[in-house]
Amino acid sequence: MDWIDQYADVDSALHRWEPRHKLVGLMSLIFAFSFVQDLRLLPAMLAVTFILYLVSKLPLSYLLTRLRAPGFFLLLVAVWLPFVSGSTILLRIGPIALRQEGWRELLLLVAKFISILTTGTLLFGTASFLSMIKATRALGLPPILADMTLLSYRYLHEIGGDLKTMVTAMGMRGFRRRRLNGRTLGVLASLVGSILVRSYEQSERVYKAMVLRGYGRSSRSRGEFQSCPRDTAALGGVLLTAIGFVVGEVILRKLGG
Amino acid sequence: MHVPDGVLPIAVSAAGYATAGAATWYSLRKINQKENPQEDVPKASLLTAAFFVASWIHIPIPPTSAHLVLNGLLGAVLGYYAFPAILIGLFFQAVMFQHGGLATLGVNATIMGLPALLAYFIFRLRNIVGRDSRMWTGLFGSLAGASGIGVSVVIFSVLLITFIPAHIDAEVERASIWALSLSHVPLIIIESVFTALVVLFLHRVKPELLNG
Repeated sequence: MDWIDQYADVDSALHRWEPRHKLVGLMSLIFAFSFVQDLRLLPAMLAVTFILYLVSKLPLSYLLTRLRAPGFFLLLVAVWLPFVSGSTILLRIGPIALRQEGWRELLLLVAKFISILTTGTLLFGTASFLSMIKATRALGLPPILADMTLLSYRYLHEIGGDLKTMVTAMGMRGFRRRRLNGRTLGVLASLVGSILVRSYEQSERVYKAMVLRGYGRSSRSRGEFQSCPRDTAALGGVLLTAIGFVVGEVILRKLGG
Repeated sequence: MHVPDGVLPIAVSAAGYATAGAATWYSLRKINQKENPQEDVPKASLLTAAFFVASWIHIPIPPTSAHLVLNGLLGAVLGYYAFPAILIGLFFQAVMFQHGGLATLGVNATIMGLPALLAYFIFRLRNIVGRDSRMWTGLFGSLAGASGIGVSVVIFSVLLITFIPAHIDAEVERASIWALSLSHVPLIIIESVFTALVVLFLHRVKPELLNG
């Protein structure tokens, strides 16, 4: 499996950007992109996304792999828009009519989808996943939520490995998932139940080990991240860009057209 | 049932974050009322990871297959930890596999998480009629499973069809919501049966997992 942070050790300006600043900056940009509704802002939005991706030095294949599955879902949801949405007909072929409003909506959805998803990929693809979770904790994520996120992430691979082994063992004993019947559901329910029981039993051992190491007693270490003026300047630049999109959208809406 | 980035207007995404924030605050408040709230964190975390992994299992529905949502089961097993667990699971899915999105994380957490809390309250009713009974455990497990995914499907359908930026008339919109909801009925039935089977398995093998 390809992990999101497989290129976390590449050397680029985005990789060197301090995680807390990067989180605030790029999340603001994601929300600014969500705000855009005017087609005239789309070229600027795509250009900003393209420039950021170039700066990150991440390979294009990495982005395309990440866009593929959600892109397919988006097309399923939005591909009908040019045929049903709106009243201005551009082209009619028999009973099928292509509508202008629908095309505009499809264009908007696709451009926003590409920009937001690429920015999200940059956010979590240019630093280790662990450091990004620590950055959310440093920015005020509740301790229980932060601990749960870190622990879940820590054991995700292990439990995934357990599931793979169990599925292989079931296959070797002749179980095939071809038909939907009571037996298939029963066997798969036992598989899920077993994964839950194993995880639960493991969690009891993990908790005891954590208590022995001082979990719940010691105060959290501070100063995990250190920023420099360059990080703040980059944050200022990205925030200004995000504000620019919001202001641009508001002005264009007032102007109409 | 993940709403991708770029589909919903910013106001809906913000409302989703506000709802998810309120539900998280409520859940954490309930968790912090326990004598030692940290004691259950490893259990909830490993079970969060286990549920995330379990959702990779595909159920054959010829000619295709579908993965289960399991939010009803998650509510029954994790109780007040269910909402944070779903939030974390969806965050992982958005970041690692691009299912859902970062801007729509709050909306998706609301779609899946609130029904999980509802499923927890429904499953807790078995304590009134007898938690040791296999019949009641199976029945309330089934109801929890059906309500978890059922309510999620309704919220998802309404949000997607109401807020996708399309100029379609109200009649078509209503028909689309019905069609999208009804197309999920087989999945609701399967998830209901599956949740009952898992809950009965846990009742037999590790009953303390259901007593949270």
